[in-house]
Amino acid sequence: MRILLAEDDSLLGDGLRAGLRQHGFQVDWVRDGEAAERELRAEPFAAAVLDLGLPRKDGLDVLTALRRSGIATPVLVLTARDALPDRVRGLDLGADDYVIKPVDLHELAARLRALVRRAHGQPVERLSAQDIELDAAARTVRRGGRPVVLSTREFDLLQTFMLHADQVLSREQLEQHLYSWGQEVDSNAVEVHIHNLRKKLGSALIQTIRGVGYMLVRRAPAAEGES
Amino acid sequence: MRPLASLQARLVAMVAALVLLVWMATAVLTWFDARHELDELLDSHLAQAAALLVVQQAREIEDDDRSLDAPALHRYAPKVAFQVFHEGRLVMRSANATGEPMIPPAEKFRSGFRTVQIAGTAWRVFAAHGAKRDVQVYVGEQVESRASILWAVLRSTVWPALAALPLLALAIWWAVHQGMAPLRKLGRALAERSPQSLHPVSLERAPSEMQPMLDSLNGLLGRIQTLIESERRFTADAAHELRTPIAAIRAQAQVAMGENNDGQRRHALQSTLEGCDRAARLVEQLLTLSRLEAGTAPATSAFNLADLTRQVVADMALAATGRQQSVELIAGPGALAMQVSGDAALLSVLIRNLIDNASRYSPAGSRLSVTITASSNTAHLCVEDSGPGMTDADLQRLGERFFRALGNDAPGSGLGWSIVRRIADVHSAHIEVGRSVQLGGLRVEVSLPLLHPPASPRGREVG
Repeated sequence: MRILLAEDDSLLGDGLRAGLRQHGFQVDWVRDGEAAERELRAEPFAAAVLDLGLPRKDGLDVLTALRRSGIATPVLVLTARDALPDRVRGLDLGADDYVIKPVDLHELAARLRALVRRAHGQPVERLSAQDIELDAAARTVRRGGRPVVLSTREFDLLQTFMLHADQVLSREQLEQHLYSWGQEVDSNAVEVHIHNLRKKLGSALIQTIRGVGYMLVRRAPAAEGES
Repeated sequence: MRPLASLQARLVAMVAALVLLVWMATAVLTWFDARHELDELLDSHLAQAAALLVVQQAREIEDDDRSLDAPALHRYAPKVAFQVFHEGRLVMRSANATGEPMIPPAEKFRSGFRTVQIAGTAWRVFAAHGAKRDVQVYVGEQVESRASILWAVLRSTVWPALAALPLLALAIWWAVHQGMAPLRKLGRALAERSPQSLHPVSLERAPSEMQPMLDSLNGLLGRIQTLIESERRFTADAAHELRTPIAAIRAQAQVAMGENNDGQRRHALQSTLEGCDRAARLVEQLLTLSRLEAGTAPATSAFNLADLTRQVVADMALAATGRQQSVELIAGPGALAMQVSGDAALLSVLIRNLIDNASRYSPAGSRLSVTITASSNTAHLCVEDSGPGMTDADLQRLGERFFRALGNDAPGSGLGWSIVRRIADVHSAHIEVGRSVQLGGLRVEVSLPLLHPPASPRGREVG
């Protein structure tokens, strides 16, 4: 999952980026409010971690501006401002979660996963489609109850597909979901990963819509499912 | 005498005492006035009686030695007496008069009033004579009778007043009590306030005498409120500033724990240590600032500013060299002998902060210079760097607590500036911030009053 981290403190930003990466997130890190707003408008982040005391534009102003223009990316506010009115105001302005510094990295990761899950209407941590089950917290995948070993990228790709089940995703969209900036992306990397997923999980799961992109089918079509 | 503790008792006592004094003065005046009027009236009666007797004697000269047994018609009659002498012989007298003339014959006869002692009693006597001087008439009246009339008059004035005094005191007490109602109301209003409440005290229909007191009270409350708010803001800001390094330390430590890659774990541990240093530095700065803002007067001693500056520059040189920055100390004419008065420890914190700021916000390879110069009665300490300097907008906000100029990755809380400002204030020093002409970066000049003007100007370069 790709996360935007907006934090002006270099030491904390560095630590959060490294920590969230350990929990399997792709992290893009910006250091001021204007950059945070620009990035959130431009890219499909799964969620954002937003510090409030940001230079150039305050975190709450960024949040207000985003919500006003209809951008629904889940936002977790991470701040040192712990006064009750601050928290209430932050949530009222459209924050999905409000966490006071300092925060445990495991908790932060869990909260981010929960935010992403809720944003996609998933009540539980496990995602499922057909006979595939994905546990986002444990980063494990089972097919028909048997564990399947996936690489990081393959897991991320499957998770993206499962979060957007029954939706067509273009290759560019998938790349945006998968890669943070500065990462080299081979032109056929997505195709390679999809090929591997089909090999490990069965060909019926991800379908190619020619000229448009790919789609994960949540329920196997009864007629042709076993063919 | 100790003044009465209660305002009410004081007012009542003073008003009652004044009223009593006025009454007494009135009584004394009445006494004198009544006595004067009474004397005039009664004397004129004596004179009139004497005249009648003279006239009568002139007509009935042949009847000798008649004691006129005038009937005692009135209870005052015994107190009034008369004698008529004709050619030295008593011809007529009242029953209570003796045969001797009321005025002793030793004295030369003189018509008019006189007060004499007759048988141990004071008498007011009017003496008169006929036209041919052979008839002498004395009409006398006991002085005591006059006194008793006067006393009666005085009694009638004083007794009702004395009787009314307790009533009057009660009335005064009530009036004063009523008059002081606003004071009691204010007292109640203040007592009922919660200790946290600092909103202004407002009193309906407060008397004009109380308005200045209310105004200064509200002014005081306002100042306290401002003080408390700034304290609260400071605490909140401080907590905010401390949370970030703590969060960083925590995150980096957790990263180090979960990291398998040796290089990345080393980096995370290094960052953890860095975070600890930053938190420690921040705590130190906060403590310095809070001590400064507590307003305690700094320890004052006289010391040599050049020596102090040299020491601080020497301490800071290593850190700057570590950033590939060069530091130099330049002393102008007379600067080496500059004596200033103040807290040497605080001033070294000020100089340290200035050099630290210059070093932090300048890139590697920058030049820093510290210049001390003396003018007629001021010591100047100037810290310059070849860094990026500051925009005008940033210069304006400089010194706001926790304000940091944007666009640098240098760790810092922005507290250094607040500390510099406060230390300068405490030492009545003046600070000027601008662009360095020589080095192109930031230039901060601190001007301190000199203790003694420089004795002999001489220039030397050190550092």
